Formats: sequence, structure tokens, C-alpha cells
Amino acid sequence: MKVFKLENQPKIETGFKAPDHYFDGFSVKVLQQINEKEVKIIPIYKRKEVIAMIAAAVVLIALMIPVVNNYNKSKELDEATLETYLSYQSTINQYDLIRELDTKDIEAINKNVVLEQETLEDVLSSNPNIENLISE
Amino acid sequence: MINEKEFIARLLNPETQNAAFQILLSEYQKPLYSHIRNIVLNHDDADDVLQNTFVKVFQYLKNFKGESKLFSWMYRIATNEALTFLSQKAKLNGLTSEALQNKTIDNLKADTYFDGDEIQIKLHKAIATLPEKQQLVFKMKYFEELKYEEISEILGTSVGALKASYHHAVKKIELYVTSN
Repeated sequence: MKVFKLENQPKIETGFKAPDHYFDGFSVKVLQQINEKEVKIIPIYKRKEVIAMIAAAVVLIALMIPVVNNYNKSKELDEATLETYLSYQSTINQYDLIRELDTKDIEAINKNVVLEQETLEDVLSSNPNIENLISE
Repeated sequence: MINEKEFIARLLNPETQNAAFQILLSEYQKPLYSHIRNIVLNHDDADDVLQNTFVKVFQYLKNFKGESKLFSWMYRIATNEALTFLSQKAKLNGLTSEALQNKTIDNLKADTYFDGDEIQIKLHKAIATLPEKQQLVFKMKYFEELKYEEISEILGTSVGALKASYHHAVKKIELYVTSN
């Protein structure tokens, strides 16, 4: 078998050729393509659809602000609402509440409140229903 | 003959840009066509890639920092465009890059713009057995007769590594042609 050596061979050409006059019109073709691309390129901020979409998004966000605010507020229960509910709406009575208290809660309640005689009298006189509460 | 810096300045200046780009086109269209054609093998594909290459060159000119020579920068764009084109074409046809390359070589005989005979076809088939980088090095050195220093700037590989790569490529090609 004859060993093939590249360096012993005359140079082998690729065999590729371009069509006749291909390069004559090539530069015109490229420049035309460049001009077309330059015309086609419209910056994103200049597109009408993009502006319309941004405006729609801004309006939507603006409309959602009160909804979001109310949604957050409605979740917060203030003490007064809770007290009113426990007193008038719920079926829980004071004995149920007492049953739920543990030692720590009782200790926290069990504090000596130093009351001046005058203060006590003031409270008693300004709360006509206090007798009912004491008797309960 | 103006120097490269001055020529780049003309390319970047809107007033002189078109005339300078015409010069760039006429100077580089033939060598870049050969470079691209050697990679994609088919004239129509080479035509597409060459046009894309010049369009990209024009678009990216403002980013050209002059760190490398204009020549190697353009060759780099052409090489990347050709390789990307090939991998996209292979994917589109559901083939591997190697399979696509072999198929194109098999069709060379019927190609109007191929003027080769048996030895050329055999050489292209032998080149197709090489890894991508070795193929590039061989084609740029053997067919395009670029200097190692130029190939080094284009591919970003050291001259030593390129010489070794070319040497391996030649050995494999000789072995393939001898045994086929």
C-alpha cells in the first residue's frame, strides 16, 4: 500500500468555487441588508404596544392599592372588637374563660391593687351597675 | 495606505463610514468567503454566513476596542458565525454536526460550485474525522495559508499548541487517505 504523505504531494486545493460575478454584487447586498436592519430596529420604549401595556399595568396597580390596604386591615382585630364579640356575640361565658386560665394567667391577675378610699368611692358612685357585677 | 487606527476611525465616523465599509468589504469578502466556505462546505450556506458576518461586523464596529487586529477580529466573527450556523442547521435536520458534515461532503460531487475530483473529496472526508479545533487549524494553515501567529490571534490559542494541533491533524489525514 502506498503511504500518503501530504508534504510529498502538490498542494491539494479545496475545489470550492463561487458563482461567476458573485463578489461583484456582494457589497450591494450587504449594505442593503444593513439598511433594512437599521430601519427595522425600533427601540422598545418607542413601541406603541409597549407603552399601552405599561399604562395598563400602572392603572391596574393603582386600582389594586385600596384593595390591598383593606385586605391587610381586615385581618387585624383590635381589642375593642374582640371584647364586644366575647361579651355579646359569642356563646363563651365567663366560666368558660376562667377554665382557660392557667397558673401564670392567675398569677398575673392576682396582683394587689392599692386603691385609695377616695378613688374607690368615685368608681362606685360613677358606676351604678357595679353592685350587680359584685353580686355576680 | 492609511494605518489601521486611522481606518477604524473612518469606519466609526458617520461621515466616512460608508466609504470605509465599502473598502473593508472589497478587501475581505474573498478571504472571508473562503474561510467560511471551508467550514460550511456549501456555497449557499457560505453566502448566508458571509452576509451575516459583515452585518455583525458593521453592528459591532462601535464596540471594537482595537485590542486585536481588525483582520483577526473579523475572522473570529466569521468563524463563530459559521460554527453557530452549522450547529443550528444540524439541529434543524435532527443530525449531529459530524453527520451533517459527512452528508454535505457526500453531496459535493453534485454541487455546481465544487470543482474537485476524487482526491479532494477524500481529503475533505479525512478532515471531517478530526475534532472541530483540529479541522479549523488544518484548514486555516493548509488551505488558507494563514501564519500561525494570525491563527493564534483568531482562535486565541498559543502558537505552540497550534503547531501540535496541525501536526496531529496531518498525521490523521495521511493515515485516513492511505487506508481508504
